[in-house]
Amino acid sequence: MSGWASRSTAVVAGLFVLFLALPIVALIGRAVLDGSLGSAIVSPVVLDALALSLLTTALSLVVTVAFGLPLAVVLARRRFRGKGLIEALVDLPIVLPPSVAGLALLLVFGRRGLLAPPLDVLGVTVPFTTVAVIVAQVFVSAPFFIRSARTGIAAVDRDLEDAARVDGASEVQVFRSVTVPLAGAALAAGLVLSWARSLGEFGATIMFAGNIEGRTQTLPLVVYGEFQGGDVDASVAAAAILVIAAFAVLVAARLFRSRRLMDASGLA
Amino acid sequence: MRSRSVVVAAIAVAALAAVALAARAPVDGPAPPASSPEAIELTIYGAASLKGALETARMAYEVATPGTTLLLATDSSAALATQIEQGAPADVFLSADATNPRKLVDAGLADGAPVPFAGNQLTIIVPTVNPAGIVSPADVVRPGVHIIAAGDAVPITGYAEQVIDNLAREAADAPGFVAAYAANIVSREDNVKAVVAKIELGEGDAAFVYATDAVASRRVATVPVPDGVNVTAIYDGVVVRTSRHSVAAHAFLAWLAGPAGAAILSDFGFRPPS
Repeated sequence: MSGWASRSTAVVAGLFVLFLALPIVALIGRAVLDGSLGSAIVSPVVLDALALSLLTTALSLVVTVAFGLPLAVVLARRRFRGKGLIEALVDLPIVLPPSVAGLALLLVFGRRGLLAPPLDVLGVTVPFTTVAVIVAQVFVSAPFFIRSARTGIAAVDRDLEDAARVDGASEVQVFRSVTVPLAGAALAAGLVLSWARSLGEFGATIMFAGNIEGRTQTLPLVVYGEFQGGDVDASVAAAAILVIAAFAVLVAARLFRSRRLMDASGLA
Repeated sequence: MRSRSVVVAAIAVAALAAVALAARAPVDGPAPPASSPEAIELTIYGAASLKGALETARMAYEVATPGTTLLLATDSSAALATQIEQGAPADVFLSADATNPRKLVDAGLADGAPVPFAGNQLTIIVPTVNPAGIVSPADVVRPGVHIIAAGDAVPITGYAEQVIDNLAREAADAPGFVAAYAANIVSREDNVKAVVAKIELGEGDAAFVYATDAVASRRVATVPVPDGVNVTAIYDGVVVRTSRHSVAAHAFLAWLAGPAGAAILSDFGFRPPS
């Protein structure tokens, strides 16, 4: 690459980093400078929303792994008619606007939804409850985990699994001790992406779960609610907390991964 | 292995968050019977413009009515009404208009008639430096004044047009007055908050907004619209038929529409509904 080309590449790259960083810096800067971050950290509305966000995203992650991992294994390992259709279906929530997801969930679980008769018999109400928050998060975020897990599991060398079987390992042992560790990086990346998507989930939540304090009002909904109510400072503070939480997890995930890479290469 | 430890961590976070949340707000569960006076929780679906007033009203009401706690849910009135139609567990619906409560009554989702509890009048806001020198409502039609308005579907637009019609009746050339106002509009925003923001930023010289928006903003000055030409948007509240605490819900709505509620609402720029 000529000197001119490499310099202009660096300039373009730098400009784009600036574009990505500036809104975040402005947000955090304003929240810190006007003192709203300090007061937001002790505000019960923000604390409730933070606790609710952590609770629901953690449970969503558990549900996503419990159901998503088997699905990822099936998609990575089996061949069957209609597989392409199922793969497209699994990816669909990634490209759907979240408001569409929220509306669709209402049509299934809502008072006049498809599943309304059996849910009524069981006395279960899903929409506009904490459960609805988790359902919405799983619906929009699970595809990120399933995609990543499917790719990771498909890339595992099956000869290694067979070798373990020859040594007498059960299928469960093979999966736990060979498949999962070898697909570990992909699984972890899927978990981080999926969790981050849940934490930021807004559109499906507000349509399907509403904006009820302490019940369904997660942090992104506080950002919206305070803005709509005219309190931009409180909105900025809640947004800053969200940014800090998400950034901390992404950094932690990177540190964790580089430590493992060093472990693997015998450097540490 | 790793995914298992992440899941364990997720469960731990969930448990911690559950404890933190349980310490503050009860999670969903079967409601206690309405007869036990110490444990009534009312879910109030309130229009976004009521948010600040409702937070203050909640504190006052919970002190005045021991054993009753209020959960607030805010959004636009139309969105809240739709959520209630879809089964949202609201006890009381407080709308920024009379149309949306009427929708619930017509759908058989209301318990009793709507109760008007507040009114909101229009005012003119200008940037604090007032670059166009607006001192009376008629100044908004002077040539060159940049007016920020809202879109046709936004309720404030209809109210602002009524005020302009009322002002035009006092002017020498009524059709010319209306046309001059229309000619001065430089921008149409999606909602009233965006109109206020444009004036705060100095992007326009004047705008019609609700009196409560003017009170809420520290970065604008107001030019009052006299009662004779002003209009009042009426806020109606209604108890939702599916409420499990119908008596308590009616009591709260009556309190909000009464003198105690009116005193709080007036601090936020609202007027009595009549």
